[in-house]
Amino acid sequence: MRRYGWFLGLIFILALILPQVLGEFWVHVAVEILILGIFAVSFNMIFGYMGQLSFGHAAYYGVGAYITGMLMVKASVPLPICLALSMIGAGICALIIGYFCVRLTGIYFAILTMAFGQLIYYIIFKWYSFTRGDDGLQGIIAPPLLFSANAYYYFTLLIAAAALIVMWFISESPFGYTMRAIRDNADRTRFIGINVRKYMLINFVVAGMFAGLAGALWGPFNRSIAPDLCNWHQSGTPVFMTVIGGPFGFLGPMIGSVIYTFLMAFVTGFTEYWPLTIGLVIIFVVLFLPGGVLGFFESRMKGFRSNASKPEETIP
Amino acid sequence: MGSRGGDYRGPKSREKINPSGKDRDKNPAHPAGSTGKGMYITLLMSQFMSGLSQGMMLFLIASGLSLIFGVMNILNFAHASFWLVGAYFCHSFWLLMKDYGFGLWVSIPLAGLVMAGIGWLIEVILIRRVYSRDLPEQLLLTYAMFLIIGDIIKISWGVEDRLIIRPAGVAGPVFFFGIPIDSYFIFVILVGVGVAIGLWFFLKKTKYGHIVRAAVFSREMVSALGIPVPRVYTGVFILGIFIAGTAGAVQAPVGSITLGMDMAVIIQAFCVVVIGGFGSLLGTLVGSIIVGEIYAFSILFWPQGALALIFIVTAIILIVRPWGLFGTPMRV
Amino acid sequence: MAEEVILKVEKLNKAFGGLKATNNISYKMTTGEISAIIGPNGAGKSTFFNLLTGYHSVDSGNIFFKGINITNWPPYRITRLGIARAFQVSNIYPRLTTYENVRQAILSQQKKTLDFFTPAHRLAKKETQELLEITGLSQQSDITAGNLSQGDKKRLELAIALGSKPDLVFLDEPTAGMSGEETHETMELVKRLNEEIGLTILFTEHDMSVVFGYARRLTVLHQGTVIAEGTPEEVRTNEEAQRVYLGEET
Repeated sequence: MRRYGWFLGLIFILALILPQVLGEFWVHVAVEILILGIFAVSFNMIFGYMGQLSFGHAAYYGVGAYITGMLMVKASVPLPICLALSMIGAGICALIIGYFCVRLTGIYFAILTMAFGQLIYYIIFKWYSFTRGDDGLQGIIAPPLLFSANAYYYFTLLIAAAALIVMWFISESPFGYTMRAIRDNADRTRFIGINVRKYMLINFVVAGMFAGLAGALWGPFNRSIAPDLCNWHQSGTPVFMTVIGGPFGFLGPMIGSVIYTFLMAFVTGFTEYWPLTIGLVIIFVVLFLPGGVLGFFESRMKGFRSNASKPEETIP
Repeated sequence: MGSRGGDYRGPKSREKINPSGKDRDKNPAHPAGSTGKGMYITLLMSQFMSGLSQGMMLFLIASGLSLIFGVMNILNFAHASFWLVGAYFCHSFWLLMKDYGFGLWVSIPLAGLVMAGIGWLIEVILIRRVYSRDLPEQLLLTYAMFLIIGDIIKISWGVEDRLIIRPAGVAGPVFFFGIPIDSYFIFVILVGVGVAIGLWFFLKKTKYGHIVRAAVFSREMVSALGIPVPRVYTGVFILGIFIAGTAGAVQAPVGSITLGMDMAVIIQAFCVVVIGGFGSLLGTLVGSIIVGEIYAFSILFWPQGALALIFIVTAIILIVRPWGLFGTPMRV
Repeated sequence: MAEEVILKVEKLNKAFGGLKATNNISYKMTTGEISAIIGPNGAGKSTFFNLLTGYHSVDSGNIFFKGINITNWPPYRITRLGIARAFQVSNIYPRLTTYENVRQAILSQQKKTLDFFTPAHRLAKKETQELLEITGLSQQSDITAGNLSQGDKKRLELAIALGSKPDLVFLDEPTAGMSGEETHETMELVKRLNEEIGLTILFTEHDMSVVFGYARRLTVLHQGTVIAEGTPEEVRTNEEAQRVYLGEET
């Protein structure tokens, strides 16, 4: 990752000048890429780093979106405070749900997270008096400072960069390595003194908090939100992105977000058969690009390196 | 989807007026009348039958799902999609034979056979490539299939609802002690029971069934005995899809056939398999009936909450007994 | 020299289905011992370790470590108290490097695993390198652990166990798959640790030269029961032990 430092710096500079060269439509796409990218990177904290498939991650995304949406519409709370509260709210949600889910692994974990995700979806859907249910919540307006597309883009870029840096530090910290240890050999990890269940829960909550942050950013961007943000279709999106981009590099899911969102914006421009398209892409990636795009390039690059793989290069 | 038994009340003429409650209690064979208790019983019975029929529909879908997972460890996200395609094929065949009274009865098995063929193709082209992969990749593959099939249905059959008009024999209700029950529900239930017995017989009594059960237990052993495991997998997958496709065809005349039905149904099928226990035929049957009845009865006291209730039950099972009611206990 | 009892096992019982794997076993160890448990395959050695380290629950009986009753404690708690274990089949982190494997155990022992923000590559450098050197793995430091040779994996297994800074360590066939020289190195290391820092060691082995060369006390297990106990010489001359186990060896 450190080796790619200059490369990342370049990307960041490109990101900064992006609105100056592209039209408003693509700036919107860029915001969407960033928001979904944070969502997907937070998902990968559970998937790539801890080794479990959460099929209900959208619950925290949706909860974050609704907390911010409702606070802004009903109480005109300033956006930064909403973001913080969204993270906390999503975190609490993840704590309650995660408490039950971390007792399981593998397919049981996947299904239980999905079941809870659907429950959250139904609660938001049916609680009409509070959330306006299926009608959704309209009129989430960003503060005047961030009202223009470019302004909101820079705001999102800032928050996204900060979130990525924090998650990066976490992934490279002792906690992050403990997650990898739990992924690779949970039993052994118990025998070196780690309460695996507790650590899984902590990771689950942190991941949920960042998903909540992503959801919170979505509301003012989209001007409206709907319960659909919580259902299992939405939960599938970060899974796609992570698999396309590659689950074993920190930025894999973000790369996946770029590809996925760009592709969607492009394809839906001239056909309604987006599910067909993305379905074929997924099958292609699963069958022929097992490590995702990132994995593909990493294995290419290994051919050019003469020395043995360094710690940063191996699968983290 | 379609009509639930609760929607159907007997024609008014059947509701006899019974002034004296005493008389009715003295004569239990008296058909349920219009007094509160009688109507309540009618309601419960018809809800029960509706739930049973819904449960049987779920059983038909979930049995294939459970079988495929039990033998090949693949959770087929697209299973209900094959079910839906079966329904569409049934409709198309029925349309061709509309002028013949027996049209439906031919369309159903025909659709099933077509689906079996499609199942074979899918297994050969896609499924067999992910046997050695991990769960996430397998789930993603079948999820992608779900997405693709959804759009293929749209492309092939368009977006309008489709309706099969039932032949005269099964269009109306039959009366069970005066309680009206949709006669087609009886047919669905019979098919479900038939498939259950058939599968049980196949797995417990036939040689091929024994091979399948052995493959669940240990693929190495089966292959060491000289039986080609890939053929077993292909066969099981085809069987699962055949049942699903036939189920779709059977279910088609119940209500209308709409896009997106597969989405709601696959989640319920997952819940069924979780509640009953992966790989257990009895578990799938019991789980289906439970889910079906939850669905039917929740309409009475919590109309919006059917699916939420099902998820709550599923979550409870996963927390308390992850391997389901009839699954084999294991470290999870 | 202080002769305190570090481990006391009282009437331990464990059955799996109908099979009695551990049958009323009582056992004691004093601090600084090196002892061995031997017995034919299936005698219940691994189950014994599993019960002591919390991997299985006991049916009845008690386990005391440093005077504390640790019966049915979860594995992580037992490790924190001071027991570590090296597994028979290498139980390492195949996708992490050798260095990261060892560091993980050390970070856990140092209670640094809830640190979210310090880059891990800056922590525990000295301790990790020391441990790698002691176990002879310095050269393989950057190799992905899954690619190590069998013998090196066993050494890594030992290094991870030692990383927890245990007072008592269980070694399950520590020299399995090693060459004569590697075996000698490993057991000399074990002996040195015992002498220098007073590490109490209980190991099982099929290699009798290792057993007789390094264990000061021997316990023979057969079908879940202790059938002989004493110094290696005493056990060697014990008839029952001979019949059941040593006789099979030839």
